[in-house]
Parts: sequence; C-alpha cells; structure tokens
Amino acid sequence: MAEAHNPLAQFEIKTLIPIHIGGVDASFTNSAAFMVASVVCVSALMILSVRSRALVPGRWQLLAELAYSFIAKMLTDTVGKEGRPYFPLVFSIFMFVLFGNMLGMLPYTFTYTSHLAVTFAMAAFVFVLVTVVAIAKHGMKFFSFFLPHGVPIAMAPLLIPIEIISYLSRPVSLSVRLFANMMAGHTLLKVLGGFVLPLGIFGVVPVLGLVAVSGLELLIAFLQAYIFTILTCIYINDAVHLH
Amino acid sequence: MGLAYRIATELVAAVGVGGLIGYGIDRWLETRPWCMIVFTLLGFAAGMLNIFRITRGYGYAAGYRAQDETKSGDNAP
Repeated sequence: MAEAHNPLAQFEIKTLIPIHIGGVDASFTNSAAFMVASVVCVSALMILSVRSRALVPGRWQLLAELAYSFIAKMLTDTVGKEGRPYFPLVFSIFMFVLFGNMLGMLPYTFTYTSHLAVTFAMAAFVFVLVTVVAIAKHGMKFFSFFLPHGVPIAMAPLLIPIEIISYLSRPVSLSVRLFANMMAGHTLLKVLGGFVLPLGIFGVVPVLGLVAVSGLELLIAFLQAYIFTILTCIYINDAVHLH
Repeated sequence: MGLAYRIATELVAAVGVGGLIGYGIDRWLETRPWCMIVFTLLGFAAGMLNIFRITRGYGYAAGYRAQDETKSGDNAP
C-alpha cells in the first residue's frame, strides 16, 4: 500500500461502471460493489446453510440458526409479540450492517458503513417507517407523543420544541454513531500501519498495537451492528406501543 | 464503551439538529441569527433530555413513563 499513505485514502469512492440516468450520477462504485458482495454473502449463508434441513445442525446451519434466533429474541424482548411483522426488516438491517462492518475488516476491502450517506440512508428509512407506522396505528394520538404526561400546560411551548428536536435527532445520532465508529477505527488502523515501516526494528511496537486494535475493531464491528439493530427495535417499540 | 458512544453522539446530534432547524427558519423568515441561537439552545436541552433518558433506562421514548409497564405486559403469555 505504498501508493496511499494518506489514512483517509481508503474511504475514497471510485467509479467502477459509470451510469448516468437523466443527469443523475448512478454509477456503480466500489461502495456499491461491496454492498452487492455483502448481500450475496448473507444470501449464500442463509440459503446454502439451511439447505440440508438437518435436525442436528451442522456448523453453517448452526451459524444461520444462531443469527436468526439472536434477532428474533432481541425483537421479542424489546417489542413483544406485535414486533413479529418487522422481523424481516430488522434481520436484514442487522445482517447488512454486520457484513458491511466485517467485510471491511478484510485487507484491501472497502467499508461502506464508514460513509455517512449510507448509514444516514438506512437510519432515515427506519425513521420514516417508524413514523408512518405510528401515525397509521394511532392516528392523531401520535402527536401527544410530543407532550409528556403531567406537564403543566404553561410549559408546553418550551417542551414541545425540545421533544420534537429530540425526536428528529434520532436518525442523526443513529447514523452518526455507526459512521463515526467505522471511520475512526479504520483511520486508526491505517495511521498505526503507517508507523510500522519508518520505525525499522522498533516497528514491532505498532504491529503489536495493530493486532490489539484489530481485535477491538472486530468487537466494534459486531457491537455497532448490534446497537444499530437494537435501537431500530426500540424505535419500533415506541411506534407500536406509543406510551 | 457502547454507552459512552451513545451518549456522546446523542448530544452532538441533538445540538446539530437544533442548529439546523434554527438555520432553516432563519433563512425562511430572515431573522438571522435569533432562531438559530434559540434552537441550538433547545437542541442542547433535547440532547440533555436524551442523555437523561438513556442513563435512567427510559429508552428513547418521548414521554416520561418508564418502559417497564409495556414490557411486563408483553412478557405475560
């Protein structure tokens, strides 16, 4: 990687197949390529591993079943029985984010979750969906959401804007958290990697650091996918139950 | 560590959203800079409110009632 010493060069979007539809740049980029790769990986894992339908699962089938029951349990714990219709969405989000993070940990790959455009698109989709579900289920009662219980009416002009900002900040914090974690982690790895060769024999020290940080990054890759998913569950719970 | 990240981003996001709303209203009504100042402060309040809710275990819900009621209801078969 001698050609790219800039720690931020790894986040560059490169056009692979230029596509322009009506003046809109819809080119197939390296980011899109890795999204396709992760979707293919997830589909392959879920379809191929359960093909044998063994009563005693093999290694791959066990992995797929664990992923399934992990998300199913998370959803029933936070939302309850009413959360069942949202399972495909939540499961897809979890697998997409997890595989994006994990594929990004392989050398020479691109991490699409390290781009705010990608994470914000996902968070905005969840946000709009949750709002639409809440309005569809509860009608105008949804707007009582913005005035907490037992608040004197004189406080309403101050509290309603605060609640609305607090509600609108959900997709922002959801997307910024994932993006910032991924971006910071990969930049840190690259910066540490840049120290190895110039230090000569003392380059062992940053290599040890790299090993440790890589392990930490694997943990963060899983943790951030988990947090993104559980917050989606919590938002769905708010929309469905609207206390 | 996950909790710390959540709290930090929550505050930044709320202040940012508040500032952006203020900026938008300012551009619309040409009242620069007053709305932006007011809404940034409101955003700060909203961020603090979010942090308070996370740390007290209220979840992210707007509205002050704890989530325990709905949860215990759900777990019953």
